[in-house]
Amino acid sequence: MMNLSRSVALISLFLLPLLTFSFSVDNPTDRRVLVLLDDLSLKSSHSIFFSTLKSRGFDLDFKLAEDSKLALQRYGQYLYDGLIIFAPSTERFGGSLDSKSIAEFVDSGRDLILSADTSASDLIRGIALECGVDFDEDSSAMVIDHSSFDGDHTLIAADDLVKSHAILGKTKIEAPVLFRGVAHSLNPTNNLVLKVLSASPSAYSANPSSKLSSPPQLTGSAISLVSVMQARNNARVVISGSLQLFSDRLLRSSVQKAGSPNKYEKSGNEQFVTELSKWVFHERGHLKAGSLVHHRVGETDEPAIYRIKDDLEFSVEILEWSGKSWEPYVADDMQVQFYMMSPYVLKTLSTDKKGLFHTSFKVPDVYGVFQFKVEYEKLGYTTLSLSKQIPVRPYRHNEYERFIPTAYPYYGACFTTMAGFFVFSFVYLYHK
Amino acid sequence: MVKSTSKDAQDLFRSLHSAYSATPTNLKIIDLYVVFAVFTALIQVAYMALVGSFPFNSFLSGVLSCVGTAVLAVCLRIQVNKENKEFKDLAPERAFADFVLCNLVLHLVIINFLG
Repeated sequence: MMNLSRSVALISLFLLPLLTFSFSVDNPTDRRVLVLLDDLSLKSSHSIFFSTLKSRGFDLDFKLAEDSKLALQRYGQYLYDGLIIFAPSTERFGGSLDSKSIAEFVDSGRDLILSADTSASDLIRGIALECGVDFDEDSSAMVIDHSSFDGDHTLIAADDLVKSHAILGKTKIEAPVLFRGVAHSLNPTNNLVLKVLSASPSAYSANPSSKLSSPPQLTGSAISLVSVMQARNNARVVISGSLQLFSDRLLRSSVQKAGSPNKYEKSGNEQFVTELSKWVFHERGHLKAGSLVHHRVGETDEPAIYRIKDDLEFSVEILEWSGKSWEPYVADDMQVQFYMMSPYVLKTLSTDKKGLFHTSFKVPDVYGVFQFKVEYEKLGYTTLSLSKQIPVRPYRHNEYERFIPTAYPYYGACFTTMAGFFVFSFVYLYHK
Repeated sequence: MVKSTSKDAQDLFRSLHSAYSATPTNLKIIDLYVVFAVFTALIQVAYMALVGSFPFNSFLSGVLSCVGTAVLAVCLRIQVNKENKEFKDLAPERAFADFVLCNLVLHLVIINFLG
């Protein structure tokens, strides 16, 4: 009996440190990542990508996709902060994993890198569909481009990258990115997904080994090669149509686009996948806001109610995670609204370069219950949606001007009449 | 015809003027006061027509003070006029005292309503 309780205590002591090694509000970078492979040889054929992740401090856990002991949660706690699925041909995951549990994983705010390849299974397509990405229905189709290729017409040399410092880093990727795989498209009305690497206008998706019987459905720049999705809870998902994009062979290979004189010693793949992994695991582009502070000009306390035509000052502190620490966020497009059914005041906040955004304005001439609203949705950054409610009252009856200038003639008339009455009564009584 | 109508108008005016000169002095003083009050009221109405009725309570207060005091002066004139048979038994001092008291109440009210 004593032995059992002692061993239980020992085991729980070992489990306790596990809880500290996860991502939290103060440290949003993921720590523990589960990597699902359909073939263990991927560990060596994609070793450069995995070693860059490990060198940045990630704890990678390699498992076969059909491993029967797979589990994302234990006793209601998630065991991993991120998930990499490099298993394009897996029909069914082992253990307790399935597309529903992966969708719940993303719903809990955790991140995912999903890669399909030629002959992607329905399971992988289903997970991508949940995230808003439509792979080409034809399972034998690949992306073919007769003008932006390198050597083989299915090895695409793509350079149509999204212009975002948050997603792809500040350094421009000079060399084209090599890609061989399947095409996907995004629904244009979905504003959560974004094309990071698009195909050139001459690309199309078809089976390379058979003649085309009808024009291909997916063509041109509508084809996305790598897309990202940032969910409303700020979970980030990268979906790629090619597993070879991450492989050592393409990372080390040189690139020369057919018909172009430029030959690059190294493809842009390594820089591309490294920067993308930094973004998806919240090492970049992750914002945190402090509370909204507002007060009347000249005071420091926050009042419980404002009066119309008051002058007030508003400020909010916004920090950006640099991967290791919180740095001040600097931008000139942060705006605040003074909102009641529609924004009565919309002002751009000015920054003091130390993370504090501030502005001052006059309360409008309308009374009611207003909200200070900051809604910030910048490409590649977490969405900020902050609000604080404050009522606004009209003038009290003793806050109006004491004497109204336009009424001075009336005041004059009244007093003149009184004086006239006084003079009249004297004259009437004492005239002769 | 034209000459006779203008001559009629002149005769009418002259007869009115001579009849009016016959009224006692105290009544003439009251008449002057009424004209002054109505004139002040007209000035205020003209001002309101120009500027608009923004502090409407002030406008009403001003006009009411003029019109009210004019009405009270007319009442005093009726009661004090010796030719008026109806008020034969009313002492003119009593009429004047009523006039003063009513004016006091009137001015109290308009100062309150002036805002």
